[in-house]
Amino acid sequence: MKENSFSISVRSDNRTIVSTDFFPVYQNEITFLFGESGIGKSVLSKSVYGLLDPEGLEIVINNKPYGLHLNNHWTKQVRKNSFFVFQEPSSHLNPLMTIKDQLNEGSLGGLEDREILSYLWQSSGDESVRKIIDIFPKPYRPSGGEKQRILLAMAFKRINALIQKDNPDEPSFFVFDEPTGSLDNNYRDLFINLLFSKFRACPFTIQIITHDYSIISEIYRSHKDLLRYIHFKELSRISDTQVRVDDFSPREYLSWLNAPKNHKADKSLHDTVLEVNPHFEIFGKSLSVFSDESLSEPAPLIIRKGEMVYLKAPSGVGKTTLAKIIMGLYKADKFRMSLCGLKVSQRSSPSVWQNKIWGKRAGMVFQHADEALNLESTVKETFKGLPLKIRINTETLQNKLLELFDPPVTKQFINKKVKYLSGGQKQRLNLLRTLILTPDLIILDEPLNGLDFNSVRKVLSLLDEKRALGSALLMISHNEEIFENFIDRRHIYHLNTTS
Amino acid sequence: MIWVLGVAVLGIWDIMFLNKPALLRVTNGFINTIIICLLVVIFTLILSWGLTLGLHFFQYRKIRSGYIVLTFILNLVRSVPQIIGVLLSYVIIAALITRGWIGGAGVFVLMAFCMSVFIFMEMVDLMRERISHFTKLDFYNAMKVCGISEKRIINSDILWKNSRIHIFNKLISVFGSAVFLQCSVDFIISVGLSTGVNTVSMPVTLGSLLAKMDSKQDILAIGNTLFNPGYLPQLFMQHLQGLTVAFLIVFSLFCIYSISNGYAERHRL
Repeated sequence: MKENSFSISVRSDNRTIVSTDFFPVYQNEITFLFGESGIGKSVLSKSVYGLLDPEGLEIVINNKPYGLHLNNHWTKQVRKNSFFVFQEPSSHLNPLMTIKDQLNEGSLGGLEDREILSYLWQSSGDESVRKIIDIFPKPYRPSGGEKQRILLAMAFKRINALIQKDNPDEPSFFVFDEPTGSLDNNYRDLFINLLFSKFRACPFTIQIITHDYSIISEIYRSHKDLLRYIHFKELSRISDTQVRVDDFSPREYLSWLNAPKNHKADKSLHDTVLEVNPHFEIFGKSLSVFSDESLSEPAPLIIRKGEMVYLKAPSGVGKTTLAKIIMGLYKADKFRMSLCGLKVSQRSSPSVWQNKIWGKRAGMVFQHADEALNLESTVKETFKGLPLKIRINTETLQNKLLELFDPPVTKQFINKKVKYLSGGQKQRLNLLRTLILTPDLIILDEPLNGLDFNSVRKVLSLLDEKRALGSALLMISHNEEIFENFIDRRHIYHLNTTS
Repeated sequence: MIWVLGVAVLGIWDIMFLNKPALLRVTNGFINTIIICLLVVIFTLILSWGLTLGLHFFQYRKIRSGYIVLTFILNLVRSVPQIIGVLLSYVIIAALITRGWIGGAGVFVLMAFCMSVFIFMEMVDLMRERISHFTKLDFYNAMKVCGISEKRIINSDILWKNSRIHIFNKLISVFGSAVFLQCSVDFIISVGLSTGVNTVSMPVTLGSLLAKMDSKQDILAIGNTLFNPGYLPQLFMQHLQGLTVAFLIVFSLFCIYSISNGYAERHRL
């Protein structure tokens, strides 16, 4: 095993953005890099790859200025041979060039892509792929998943070129930054299969940055033979700016996932908190809730006290829409529900939610913490104005924060502006703002977004405590593996469109 | 800084070379103008914040009649050109003064209030834009569903925490507009209506000073210097009142404009 290790410091405006003494790149092996959102995984990888714009930044790699790193042989070879798949595919595509032209731009030109595209789109003919590659990318077309696959196709073209060279000593560094963020499990597995089959043909350096811990299960299921080439690493925080790369134990994740769960509430609680009619209509679409995976029999969505219910549906079908209808943020064309005995329909006045539901009968955690929190508030101010039964002072707030944050929770942290927190910290704050309340129903939309494994465990344990105390929880998440293991099968509902 | 420095240098020069009564008039005029314009800023902030809240809550609580009435009043005021509106208000104030109904500090307050009535709409537009922008974001809904009151979200989270830089920047330009309007209207009042109104009873401002006969002669002297350059040294010794007033107006407006631009650039507005 040949390991290139880097010490990296990135500063801007006299403020350290991220700094680490050890960032490993294992040559011709595979590294999975986990860690909470905003901790600096992408910045560190980009700085090693040589992609950071030095304008306005002070970047030091191995105690040498960035310019020297950019001009050394390893970096130059890496940039020649490799590819960096960005987290947000839209930002990588040029709206003024067709996708076909972009797939053949620069050093990608002349490389065969038909086979890769057919595989990633799972189509035998050219037709469906051509519909995508002959167009100019727009914000809404192709879809997020398709854009992601286009970038992956570019990376695979480079991988093919590298394999054809058949020179294992030539340095490479293929970085995939959240490559499966917009892909469903089927396409995710296709990508992993293709990537690993290329690796088996000729090993090259791969780094996959991800929050998707379910990839671990897929590797243990289908690619066990590669485990000796795979490094599972996790970036964790030592101080506000200093991070450390630790080993991540996949077995710990798997044993946590498969550990038996207690689905019962502490007390016998049978009161129905929420009952939503199985059929509803919004934006001219008819949707139905089903209690079985085969979607054969529509059933009302029922959540009782002390129950955690998981709402499953393919991306874009309307899970968040249903949550927003329940919370009165969207007006449905046809809808009926009962929330703690309060009958609500599409005709109900908005004041019903304002006076009787928000913060009292129900609360909701929004999907994107960055958008759901007031970034100009401090951590402490985030909890001001909430309809709490107890008065919250610094000490009680510190104790509350400790439920999801690592100690010590200092006064300095409490008075820090939300905009200066990392993505993972924002998400935990976003969760706590609602979980500190005591409504009968809590809706959680993607509660595990951007969290590291340690935080995922803490959040789920906190939610379990809430459930055991009698709160009804409605979960919406793409982390199917975790929630299917965590929630009783009887409490998994499916949402789909109906004609 | 440059503004303060410029005004200070001018002040020292005037102390050395401007006669005492004229110096007193210029000083009073400058201070009065600044006080009135600061009052305009305060009234604009109060009026716009109040009206923005009124409009938002009428809209939020679906009180259509209240919303329509308030919008109508706002549009009615908006339809009157600023300078005409302020001019008419000043005529009324002058009439009230001559009848002895108001006087002293009350005149300052009334002048500032009248001016702010014709300026504050810009601030209302800004505040409503900010509210409209934030209410479209998840941040607004996420706070609402946690049971945080609408009043708190609008006042504290949107207007104070997320818009105060924009509001402050607008207040700087309101101050600039007030200086300009004040000088223009006072100049017109002092020149045009001097036969009907006893201008002495209105507070001395830079605008009214500029309209005085000796200031006008000083301005004419600048024109004369263009054709007789040898007259230049005397311009800075013998025509100081008009020159000072004209300089204070132009220099202040230029500096306020630069401050506003610099502030917007610094905060990336």
